[in-house]
Amino acid sequence: MFSIRLGLKNLSRQKRRNFITIFVIAFSFFGYLFTESIMNGLEEMSFENIRNFETGDIQIAHPDYWEERDELTLKDLISWDDGLREMISQTPGVTGISPELRFSANLNNGIDEMGIIGLGIVPEDYNQVFQTQDFFIEGSMSALGENKAVIGEKLAELMDLKLDDYIILLVRTKEDTFNTIDIEIGGIIRTLNPMMNSRTVLLPLSTVQQSLNVENSVTMISLKTTPMIEENIIQPLEDNFQEKELPIRAYSWRELAANVIALSTTKKSGIGAIMSVVLLIGMVGIVNNIILSGLERTSEIGMMKALGMKEWEIVFVFMIEALGIGVLGGLAGCLLGYIGVRWLVRNGFYIASFGDWSQYGIPIVDRIYGVWNTQAFAYIFMLGVVVAILSSILPAYWAAHKDPVEAIYHR
Amino acid sequence: MPLLELKKVKKVYRQGKIEVPALRGVDMVVEEGEFTTIFGPSGSGKTTLLNMIGCLDTPTEGEIHLNGNRISDLSKKDLAMTRRHNIGFIFQSYNLIPVLTAFENVEFAIRLIGRLSEKEMREKVLEMLEEVGLKGKENRKPGELSGGEKQRVAIARALVKKSKIILADEPTANLDSETAQEVIKNMTKMNQELGTTFIFSTHDPQIMEYARRFINLKDGMISSDKRKD
Repeated sequence: MFSIRLGLKNLSRQKRRNFITIFVIAFSFFGYLFTESIMNGLEEMSFENIRNFETGDIQIAHPDYWEERDELTLKDLISWDDGLREMISQTPGVTGISPELRFSANLNNGIDEMGIIGLGIVPEDYNQVFQTQDFFIEGSMSALGENKAVIGEKLAELMDLKLDDYIILLVRTKEDTFNTIDIEIGGIIRTLNPMMNSRTVLLPLSTVQQSLNVENSVTMISLKTTPMIEENIIQPLEDNFQEKELPIRAYSWRELAANVIALSTTKKSGIGAIMSVVLLIGMVGIVNNIILSGLERTSEIGMMKALGMKEWEIVFVFMIEALGIGVLGGLAGCLLGYIGVRWLVRNGFYIASFGDWSQYGIPIVDRIYGVWNTQAFAYIFMLGVVVAILSSILPAYWAAHKDPVEAIYHR
Repeated sequence: MPLLELKKVKKVYRQGKIEVPALRGVDMVVEEGEFTTIFGPSGSGKTTLLNMIGCLDTPTEGEIHLNGNRISDLSKKDLAMTRRHNIGFIFQSYNLIPVLTAFENVEFAIRLIGRLSEKEMREKVLEMLEEVGLKGKENRKPGELSGGEKQRVAIARALVKKSKIILADEPTANLDSETAQEVIKNMTKMNQELGTTFIFSTHDPQIMEYARRFINLKDGMISSDKRKD
């Protein structure tokens, strides 16, 4: 159609202005795609770090303990024996079982004291569920087998502790009496999860059970599962617990990661807000462009009307021009976005240089890597083009609605 | 039946509370194939009269009939359709689209009619450009043409759709005298060869000489209407 050809040819007029509008749209698209990639990377890595270092895929606990799990009490514990292990391990999809005894303690280095979370574990079981073993900077997980403790690097720095130093953990037993665990540091870890690095001390399960006077009991059992819908594993587990009349339940890691999931919901609103700003920038650019074009081409519009063009036909020419700007800006933005996201996916973004994010509930200490989301590219491009067309209608109508006589003789 | 008939046409512009009469009752009949000039001093109502005839504006009072159809009280949409099919315009400042070539500027007008095949349209545009002496310059953009050539493109654009009437408001005002004569000769040639009716306004006595009918407008009224023998 001739109007389409004319609209597209009009793009070659006011090259500098069109270039600036296209650049602004492209840059805002890039900003959106880059931010979206970081946010998704942040979410994905947060979830991975929680699953790989804190919760596993499923956790089993007494419902009352679960309700008050932040209190780290020694009530409502699970009686841990071979029968329960056998039952859980036979559930399809379960690939690792790690019994844990969590407790609160005060760590004393002989000079200072600070509150920590103690975690009694069986190293072989723990390694099946968590990835901590790959993040030792000194010592190894086998230290636990030698009745030694493993602490995080940040905790070691804070308390001025080194490998082979002795620490004293002041604990309360099940009967609420004080006891101490006097133990040598056999390993120092630096994981991707800041909680593990700054507040957690890993100890042999048997030592902890003995010190807390909770023989054969654990607070929770963490499970590693095959990648399948968690509900398909949780339901058979719970059916088994009910059948054996065990007062325990299985919980998805998502329930433990509620804070991060809440952050993820906030992320969605944040991305929506960024998208709105991006589209608003595009809209302002297009509206500005069409208004200026309408002003500059007033006598040309008058001529078009004199030739007998209807208003909607003139509006259509301007809409094609806006569409061209939207498409070029969108393509340039997607290209810039592709380069940016590719860099982000390959090299990551060093989050630590922007402070300690763990204090905001983000369980990442090092780099955030971007995530590819081709849908976001398609979505922002299409939405951008639609917004470009829609935002051109009013200014184009304003331009086309001019009185033909005034328009023709406009100087 | 005359091609164009104006009966007691009046036009009053309002500037705030002040009413400014531009036409004070014009009666005029134009037959098909006439080559008419409207002249008169500035502010005499020449442009207003051409705008009324060209369906760009509507009269405050009176009637205008084009080809037997009353056009003085048509809706905006119908006025646009009347302009599209029946009227061609030639403007003082050419009003060509700078991003389109000479060929495309002429093609633009014929495409609005849209009754011809691609091949027929192309042939007509080339034929018309040849008629106005622009053969070989079809692919030049307005910026690459002289003033006279631009105005000839505008003439071709007005003629290509076989308009019943061509209105030209001071078509030579922006041209030097030699180019102006060249353009008016071109218009005369088209009038004679195609039988198209031309009505143009001018201040230039040299250009006026080419017309066969002379309408003198003074204070919004026709003061004289003479024909060349």
